Amino acid sequence: MSQIEAVAALLARDLRSFFRSRSQLYSSVLFPLMLLAILGTGVNDGLDPKNITDYVTFLTPGMIVMTALFSSTFSSASYYQDRDSGILKVFLASPHSQRVVLLGKTLSSVVIGVAQALLVLAVAAAIPAIHFQWQYGVAQSVALTVFSIVLLNLFLSGLGQLLASRIRSMQGFHLVMNLVLFPFLFFSGAFFPLHDLPEWLKLLGRVNPLSYGVDMMHLALYADGSDGYFGLPLDFAVLTLLAVGVFYVGTSRGVNPDR
Amino acid sequence: MLAAAIQPLNLNVSTPIDAPSPARAGMAASAVDVRDVTYRYGDRVALDALTLDVPAGAVFGLLGPNGSGKSTLLSLLIGRREPASGSVQVLGAPLSARLRARLGVVFQEPSLDSNMTVRETMALQARLFSLPRAEARRRTDMLLERVGLADRAGAMTPTLSGGMKRRLELARALVTKPDLILLDEPTLALDPDSRQRLWQHLLEANAEGCTLLLATNDVYEAERYCRSVALLDRGRLVAQGTPAELKHDLRRDAVRIEWKGDPAPEAAAMRSWPGVGGVRVAGSTTHVTVDEASPFLTRLFQSSGDRVSGVRIEESTLEDVYFQLVGHGITPRADGDAQPEEGA
Repeated sequence: MSQIEAVAALLARDLRSFFRSRSQLYSSVLFPLMLLAILGTGVNDGLDPKNITDYVTFLTPGMIVMTALFSSTFSSASYYQDRDSGILKVFLASPHSQRVVLLGKTLSSVVIGVAQALLVLAVAAAIPAIHFQWQYGVAQSVALTVFSIVLLNLFLSGLGQLLASRIRSMQGFHLVMNLVLFPFLFFSGAFFPLHDLPEWLKLLGRVNPLSYGVDMMHLALYADGSDGYFGLPLDFAVLTLLAVGVFYVGTSRGVNPDR
Repeated sequence: MLAAAIQPLNLNVSTPIDAPSPARAGMAASAVDVRDVTYRYGDRVALDALTLDVPAGAVFGLLGPNGSGKSTLLSLLIGRREPASGSVQVLGAPLSARLRARLGVVFQEPSLDSNMTVRETMALQARLFSLPRAEARRRTDMLLERVGLADRAGAMTPTLSGGMKRRLELARALVTKPDLILLDEPTLALDPDSRQRLWQHLLEANAEGCTLLLATNDVYEAERYCRSVALLDRGRLVAQGTPAELKHDLRRDAVRIEWKGDPAPEAAAMRSWPGVGGVRVAGSTTHVTVDEASPFLTRLFQSSGDRVSGVRIEESTLEDVYFQLVGHGITPRADGDAQPEEGA
């Protein structure tokens, strides 16, 4: 019980910090919506893609994934703030294992990421120019989207924590996250469908964990069939495996609270 | 020569330290029992077969220069590091997560969350240590009152002064009512007034039965507040005892000489004078420990009186003990061996 209490205390503390950081709070939601408006409208009207009838709606799942990506990156970077402020040492001197401390921190990253992504989804659903298909019904499609958001955030937060506890400086951490995760985002099907790409890019898309989150959300929100998609069973399997595995590893590695 | 000088003093360390505070009921006789502990950072030995016993209820100082192993020992005691060999017992048992619930720690570096208020800082600690909420509130109110932060309970921590932050860190360590508090240079960079107030709170906690284990390189602090002191050098125990015991075998007087120029030639000559112990040079100052000041001063003025610009006879300190035993000082200071001033 005391371990659950400790995780809850650390979670509450990170959430409070997040809500006190107004700029992070607003920018995390406004940025994807701004991209939706500018990039979505620009590509839809300016480029007129031949195989996507409604690019703004197509782009929305990608923006939700991007929100989860940014959120987990920022939240994981709070590890460095905690380390540099010395508070991480205090946590590790408490009667709890490193695993409990990391679990509290990583879960807060998951909760913040899920909340932000859901907020973007809710705002997007209310925009008249965005037409979700809800091919499995609204309730089931929303449930699918929430599920994929949770799995994606578990994976990304675990990955962020794993990297943060290995990389000494915050600058190095951001560099690695950008180097690894931006290509992941670009070849995830978030900005363009994977099935029309050359084979080598399709291959990159298939080995990209984010592709399965985007795929699941496209199926839930945008698509009116499943042709050209990985399909829900594969999406579920890959995302669940990655989420559980990477989250476990990310919260299991030892941390060095010294600067 | 140096190896011989580092031999431990022949002190009667089994003598009970003077007036330790009564330990809490159920506490082991030893708050910390370290046996033959060795710890290495790569090839560098940080603790070298260190054996140390800190009695329950003590105010115990680990005194030594930077790199002598003080902080490493504290990190072993909170379980952040594992010794390469030897055994560590805290409060009568091998360290465990459950045992850490009975420890409080004040780190050398600041360790406050800048996104939290004073009260939230206390509340988080209480929650991490599973303190019942009502008890946490009661102790928070009492401790904030005691450390003079009751009127700043709602303030964000970055708005506190350095002294207030340190007092908050101490209050945070005390909120869980620990049996043992580990303090790593807790008064570093504090002004004299803040330092004295912090010690007042620490001694209050000790009077309530909490053992204090302090790592410091502040000789004055160790001598003034610690009932027992262990002198460490390169991870080894040089000597242990009360400040009075440690100074017992020391040459009696300490003479500080200001020179009109480079004191090196005279310092070299003095080392061979009868009755002279340690000779330390810092800038234009020489600090000498002697059996008796009068004959030494007579000889000093006979041989080099025209080069001396000032002389002061001082009481010997643990720094002198350390120097006599180890051959170098504890705290390198620009002005030689100036003592920190106690607050008004």
